[in-house]
Order: sequence, then C-alpha cells, then structure tokens
Amino acid sequence: MLQVLIQGLLLSGLYALIAVGFTLIFSVGRVLNLAYGAYLLIGGYTYFYFSQQLGLPKFAGVALAGIIGCALGILKFQLIVRPLKGNHVAIEISTLILAVFLQSVVIFVFGDSSKILLPIIPGVERVAGAAIPFSNLFAAIASWVILISLWLFVRSTHMGRAMQAVSMDAKGAAISGVDATKINMFTWALSGTLGAIAGVFFASYTQLYPGMWVAPLIIAVAVVIVGGIGSIIGTLIVAHIVGFLEILTSAYIAPELRGVFTMLLIIVILVWRPSGLFGREEL
Amino acid sequence: MGLRWHHFALWGLFAVTLFVLPEFVSRGTLRTLIFANFLAIFAISWDTLSGRTGYISFGHPFLIGIGAYTTAILTKRFDVAMEISIPIAVIATMVGGLIVLLPALRIKGSYFALVTLAMMELIYQLVQVIRPDLTGGTRGMSGLPTLTRGAVNGYYMSVSLMLAIALTTWLVMRTRLGTALSAIGMNEEAVSGSGLSVTKLKMAAFLFSAFIAGLGGAVYIHYLGSIAPRALFDINFVFTIIVAALIGGAGTTVGPIAGAFFLTFLLEYLRPYLPGAERYMVYSGLALILYMAQPKGMWELFFQGIAKFDRLGRRE
Amino acid sequence: MKFGKILKAVTAAGVISAASFATAAYAEIKVGFIGSLSSDTGLSTLRGAEMAIEELNAKGGVLGEKIKLVTADTQEDVTEGIKAYEYLAETEEVDFIISGSIDDVSLGWIPRMQEFQIPTLDTWTSSISIIDMVVQDPEVMAPYFMNIASDEALATLYINFGADVLKKQMGWNSVVILAEDTGFGQAITGLVTEAISPVAGIEVKETIIYDVGTVDFAPIFAKAQATGADFIYQVSSVNSQVISSQYVKLQVPMPMTGVNVSALGMEYWEDTGGAGGGISTLSPLPSVGFKLDPTSQAFVERYQAKYKSRPVIPHFNGFNAYYGLTQAMAAAEEAGGFKDAKKWSAAMEKQDLKLELDGKLWLRYGFWGKDEVEEVTKRTYPHNARFDLSAPYDDAQPSMVVVQWKEDGSVGVVYPFEYATTKFEIPSWIKK
Repeated sequence: MLQVLIQGLLLSGLYALIAVGFTLIFSVGRVLNLAYGAYLLIGGYTYFYFSQQLGLPKFAGVALAGIIGCALGILKFQLIVRPLKGNHVAIEISTLILAVFLQSVVIFVFGDSSKILLPIIPGVERVAGAAIPFSNLFAAIASWVILISLWLFVRSTHMGRAMQAVSMDAKGAAISGVDATKINMFTWALSGTLGAIAGVFFASYTQLYPGMWVAPLIIAVAVVIVGGIGSIIGTLIVAHIVGFLEILTSAYIAPELRGVFTMLLIIVILVWRPSGLFGREEL
Repeated sequence: MGLRWHHFALWGLFAVTLFVLPEFVSRGTLRTLIFANFLAIFAISWDTLSGRTGYISFGHPFLIGIGAYTTAILTKRFDVAMEISIPIAVIATMVGGLIVLLPALRIKGSYFALVTLAMMELIYQLVQVIRPDLTGGTRGMSGLPTLTRGAVNGYYMSVSLMLAIALTTWLVMRTRLGTALSAIGMNEEAVSGSGLSVTKLKMAAFLFSAFIAGLGGAVYIHYLGSIAPRALFDINFVFTIIVAALIGGAGTTVGPIAGAFFLTFLLEYLRPYLPGAERYMVYSGLALILYMAQPKGMWELFFQGIAKFDRLGRRE
Repeated sequence: MKFGKILKAVTAAGVISAASFATAAYAEIKVGFIGSLSSDTGLSTLRGAEMAIEELNAKGGVLGEKIKLVTADTQEDVTEGIKAYEYLAETEEVDFIISGSIDDVSLGWIPRMQEFQIPTLDTWTSSISIIDMVVQDPEVMAPYFMNIASDEALATLYINFGADVLKKQMGWNSVVILAEDTGFGQAITGLVTEAISPVAGIEVKETIIYDVGTVDFAPIFAKAQATGADFIYQVSSVNSQVISSQYVKLQVPMPMTGVNVSALGMEYWEDTGGAGGGISTLSPLPSVGFKLDPTSQAFVERYQAKYKSRPVIPHFNGFNAYYGLTQAMAAAEEAGGFKDAKKWSAAMEKQDLKLELDGKLWLRYGFWGKDEVEEVTKRTYPHNARFDLSAPYDDAQPSMVVVQWKEDGSVGVVYPFEYATTKFEIPSWIKK
C-alpha cells in the first residue's frame, strides 16, 4: 500500500511537470501544440548529448536542454503559429507534422534504438519494500518547486498578470495595452523550456527513444482536458489522479492496462463536460 | 449534379492510364503503387469525414483498425471465408463510425481531434489485453489468407478498389449531400439554420467514411497477410494519412489520391539514400513547407497556376 | 558525412524518377540484406555479410561474378519488413537474401519468401514455428535456412541450467516469469513453463507479460516481488537494456536471470551506464565472454580494424552471417548459381564447417538432415543450424551458453561447466 503511495507520488509529480508547459500554451495561446512532446524529446537528447556523451556537468546538461527548448519554442511561435494567424486546425496539423519531423531528425542524428540515461543522482532508498531512486525523488521535488514558482510568478509579477489577462480575454487585454504577441512569444518560450527540462527527468525515469514524444503528449492532453483549461492547481490535482490511476492499475489489475483508464478519462470528460472538472478558471 | 462529359472523359483517361501501367513499369514500382492506392483509400476516407465537415480526426486508424481486425480475427480464428468476413468487417466499422459520431454531436474543433486521438490509443491498449488469444496481442497476427499473389494481381486489385471508391465518393460529393457536408465544414450554424438536420448529415458523412475505412482496412490486411497493432494504431500512421489528404488538397476527391501517390513515391525513392526511418525527415520537412505554403494543398496550387496562366494568356 | 547524405538524398529525390523505369542487368550476384539498420543485432548481420562479400570478391567473386550488397531496413516493424522483402525481391531483384530480422518480422515476410522462392538465410530469429513450416511443407520452404539453434534448443539448455545451478547450487525453488509480448517471448515462456517444474523442480508462481514499449518497470517489479518467488526469469529480446537498467536502478531485491538480448553485446555495459551488473542471460554462440577459435578470432580482429562504431564485437548473428553467407556462396558455386532454388537448397544442406580450438570441436556451421531426429527433444530440425544439447558437446557446439555480467563490468560464461570461465553470482544489493 505504502509502495503504491510512493510510486504514485513520484510519477504524479513528474506528470504535473510534463503537463504544465502544455497547459500554459493551451490557456494563453488557445492552441493545441501537438509538437509539445517534441520538447521532451529534444530536451532528453540534448541532455544525453552534452552530459553523457560529451561529459559536461549534469547541471549544465539540464540548463542546455532548457535553453534549446526555449529556442525551439520561440522558433515554433515565429515560424508556425504567427504565420497561421490563429487558424487552430492548421496549427494543430502543422505542429503534428513538426513533431514527426523532429522525431526523424533525432533518428537521423542518434539512431532509432533506445538509450539509457544515467541517473541524475545515483542511489536508491528502500521504504517499506518500495524502491525510491534518488533521481525520481529529485524529479518529483523539482517538479513541485517549478510548479509553485510558476504559480507565484503568474500571480505576482507584471508579466504573469499580463499572461493571465491574455488567457482570459485576448481582445480586452489588447485594449488595456498588453502586447499579446509579446506575451504569447514569452509563453511559448517558457513552455518550451519547461517541456525540455521535463524531458530530461522523464527520460531519466524511463529511457530515451525517438518515439518518446507521444506518451507525454497524451498525458499532457489528459491532464489539461480533465483539469480544465489553464488552471495550474487543476493541473497539479489531475496529474495526481492520472498518475495514481496508472500505478493502481498496474499494481492491482494488469500492467498492460495502465493507460486504458487515462484514455477513458479523456473521452468521458470531453464528451460529458468539455470544460473539464475544474472548469475554466484563470491561470 | 452538374456532370459534364469531360468529367467522365477525365476519369476514363485516369483509369485507363492506371490499368495499362503494369505494361510499362517494373514489379517493384507496382508494389509501391499498391501502397499508394491503399494510402489513397485511407486518405479519401479521412477526407470524407474531416476534410469536408471540418471535424478533424486524429484517430482515423481507429476505424481502419476495426475493419482490419474484424476480418483478421474471423478468417484466422474462425476460418470464415474472406467473401463473408470482409462485408462483416465493413459493417462493424460502420458501427465504429457511429461511436466516433457520438462525441461529434457535442464537441468540435480541437476537442473532437483529441477525443479521436484518445479513441485510437484506447483501442490500441485494449487490443493487447482483451482476448489476446483472438487479437494476437501486441504482436498481432501473421499468416492471414491473402486475396492475391504477385505484384500485378495485387496492383489490379488495389487500383480497382481505389478507383471504385474514388469515383463513388466523387459522385456522392456532387449530390446535394456533398454540398451540404462542405457547408457544415464552413459554417455549421448556417446549415442548421437553413432547416437541414445537421445530425443526419454528419451521420451520413461518418458512416460513409467508416464504410471506406473498413473496406480499405480489411482488403489491406488481406493484401499484407499480417496485422500489427503497433504499426496500425500509430500516430505516425495518422500523420501519413492526414498529410496525404492535406498535401493533395482536402475537400476534393483527386487531392487525397495525388497526395498519397506523391508521398508514397517520395518515400520509396528516398530508400536507396536514406534506408531507415530518417527518410521521414525529408518527407515531413517537405510536408511542413508545402502545408505552410498552401494549407489547401497542391490541387489548389495547381488551380492557382492555371488561373495565373489564364490571366497571362488573356492579357496578351 | 551526415549532411552529405541529406544533400544526396534531396537531390536524388528530384532526379531519379526516370531511373525506376529502367532495370539494368549487370553480370553480378546481388545479395539483399533485410533487418534493422539501427540496432546492434541488425548491424551485426549486415557487417558479417559485408565482410564475407569483401573477402569473396577479393578472391574473384563467385562463378566469375562480383557480389553486390543492397540493404532494406525493417525498422523492426512487420509491415516495413514485408515492404523491405518486396523491395529486395522486385525492385532490386536480388539473388540471395541474408536476414537479421527479429522473429515477428521474419514471420511477416515468410509468405513473400514462399511466393518469390529466393534463397534466404536467417541469422537472428530462432522461431521454431518457421522450422515447423519447413517440416510441414519442405517444397515451398526449400530456399529457407536458419543458422541459429531454434527456440527449443535455447529453452532446453536453460532448463538444464535451472536444474544444475539455480536449483542445485542456489537452492531456489520458485520463479516468476517476466516475459515481453513478442513471438520470441511467447515461444520461450511456453517452453520454459512446460519443462522447468518437471525437469528442474522449480515451481512457476506467475507469468507476467509486458509490452515492449513499457517505459516504467517499477510496478511490474513490485508485482513480481509480491509473488514471493525466489527469482525472476526474464525473457526480453527487444529494448532489453531498459528492463535490466531499471532493475539495477531500482535495486530490485530479487535475483534475475533469463534471456536478455542486449546483454549479448559489448555495448551492454555502456548502455546501462555501467549499471548492469548481476544480469545473466542465455546467449547463442559465439557470445560475449566466450573464448573464440582462431578463425573466429581473426574475423573479429578484421572486423574491429574495419568498423569503428558500435557494435565493437559482432553479436552471434554477425558470425552467423559471415560464415553463413560464405556457405551460401559455396552452395551457389556447386548449384551453378541461385536461380534454381531447389538445386541451391540441396547444395546448402550439405554445407558443414567445423571450427576447432585446442584440438576440440568448438563451433559447427552445419544443418540438420531432413529426417535426422535430435536425441533429447525427439524431433527433426530440417534447415536449422546443427546444435548439441548434451555434454560433452562433441557433435556440435552447445546450443547456447549462459553468460553473466559482473558488477565490475566484466563478463564471463557460467554454464555449461565445460565452457565456464566464472561462477554464477547474485547482485551485491540482494541480502542472502
């Protein structure tokens, strides 16, 4: 029982971190960024390249992953989202194509067999029969820290409040003098950074492989759909629902079924309550 | 319906060209054409549902998979003849089409896209755990009965099916039904305001799309002789279908065919230079550029080109 | 180098459309490789074949013709595999195909092989169901050969290892099987489950099947621990480094042995980040940690001089491809080429290469006769590599060996005892 609790907490923390960058774009930009998973892919491989292949310090690897994710976010915004001027379907489709493109770039450079990331922090602690790898614990804690700082940032800084304003009413924000384009670009950059860093943790939790962008994308979708657009607190709560559902399913029903309830949750919530469990709140 | 003799002349010319092709090309090229034909069928099916009505499906393999799995299980596990199993598969897929229709009655846009994506992922996971003795689990099944042997026969089978589906779709889309469907894609409220039942129209589109997907999926696996869930319920497969329809030109019949042929041949021609999955880099890069340049597809570019040419001609 | 490749590809895409309409016929023997071009196992077969071809060409080729190699990637996907086989057969019109495909991929393209009747040699898949096809339909399957011992041989050796080491030395009485959901996983799991209890006296508590796409093994290991079995038996051929590295990362307090294909390569240590100690696996021969006869040793040295990237030492199937392709060409010399598949097949059946070390039979590349019954399993294995299931292994090499990686990064053979270089141990974090 304790084992399930611990595994659930570790996994959910990671899921919250994965989903939050996606939430940001969905609420501020109102677009589904299907290439979101590709940030995790690129982040994971960047870290692998710099820290594991070139032997740079681990912190530098994470930082570089964040920088590349940030650059990717800005590029995506400037080259795809802006030219398509709010045509949602076109943005979804072109981000899907972009994700496949980035996946093949990774295959081209690194090959398509999977790679194992060394633990960011080696070591394991056993509590009541449950193994807690320090890396996973670190990932969960880091994810909490990042989420709380993000929440504070959105609440209490000028930039954060501007983001809130755009997410609630883009036109209204524009009238009151907020430069929506600037805010949007900032959000894309932030989302890219968060996604890439989540990618490092996600890959060290599991493995690196070119198709690794799909699973986190689905998790992010589930969390955002169920949690409702743009609520950081909702993201956190639903990440735990999804994480625990998976752990409970694999522990008590069957490991192969772990994703089934996540999918069912998405379908049921979208059909039954399209605004999500936690409704539409501000960020 | 606005049918003109030159329409039929063009279709006839297209069909004749395709039918005499085996006399001129190698068997290897025929194999590539077979895959292009199947991709064209799937792209037409996707386009009927998404390209026309604007309900973008990211889970089209959900429908194709129902057709493919139904006939695979019936023939492999219960020794049903293909002449019986394929029609059953098509009917099962149409039931699947109604399942996809349910969310479409309530939600649209990005949300609908996500539900269909979740449906595909769900069926992928369920296939592995519900009765793996029937479905073959994650491994799928091989050694299924095949409809034809040899490249030439396979080509004639696939090209006839593709042409039959394309022509039927083209004719149906020229009726008032087709016009109404395109109108839904442009402005659903206006259609319901004009007194038409949007639900019935959507149902017609979804059932028609499922019919094509089921037929295509069932024949496809009886061409391959094997079925593998990992390749079928895969976001990369979704990507290939959508890109084929969009690059060619969504909302048209010839567009998805052109897109499917273009992309399949692009992939095959890259094989000697980039033998692995990195071929998709050129493929997706090109798709992204083409799509960003003209979201309406190559067909539109072609027409714009003709229009420009016309104007130039007139100026002289 | 890589960017040169892109440039070539992009320009080529535009230019070559005309080329496909003309199929040129040169006086050359075309060999097709089918397998994954991005896995170490796939590359092993490819490079083994490349080296054999290079050597044959240096000697003037076969039947006075040079040999040319073309490749088709399967991406370890069944549909891609079928397309790849068709490409080799119809676009490239190859004379002979050498395969490094995994079980499910081979099973996918076998019907195409039956259709085209192209002489084909599998070097990686050990699927007994393909050998069963040869038994049932020797006419149609005549051009097919598999020069690795099939599943039953693998499982039999493992059962013996269970009786002699796991039961007798370690005193373990129960096992939980952790098997991937592949053709290979199913075959091995079935065979081991059937025999381990009656032969080795080890009870199977539970069998857990996992998807090869599984990324988080923590709940699966937790479930395995909950069965209270003495050890885990893993069957993993795809992405096996994931399960073993997570086993070590999580320090699962249960010994684990079985089949782990990634542990068959020297890269295993690097891939698990130096954290794969304690993992033991069955390995077809030759294997990491296994002493080599002089001929095979010379092959490895030439291999290392030629290839600087991974795998640094070919996996067992690299040796199979090297020797097997040479044998296929010798059979072609005798049969007057590959065109008459039946004639080639008859000549291939007679191929027999015996390699010795210190006056002892060490490796044998030959095939079972059509009606020859193997003594232990009491069945026939036509067109399957010859193997030996009982000591002292004087008819052929043992079907497999068990190797173990130690926590210091060394690797050695632990079973059969005749070939052992080290002792079977359990990881240090497990309390005895």
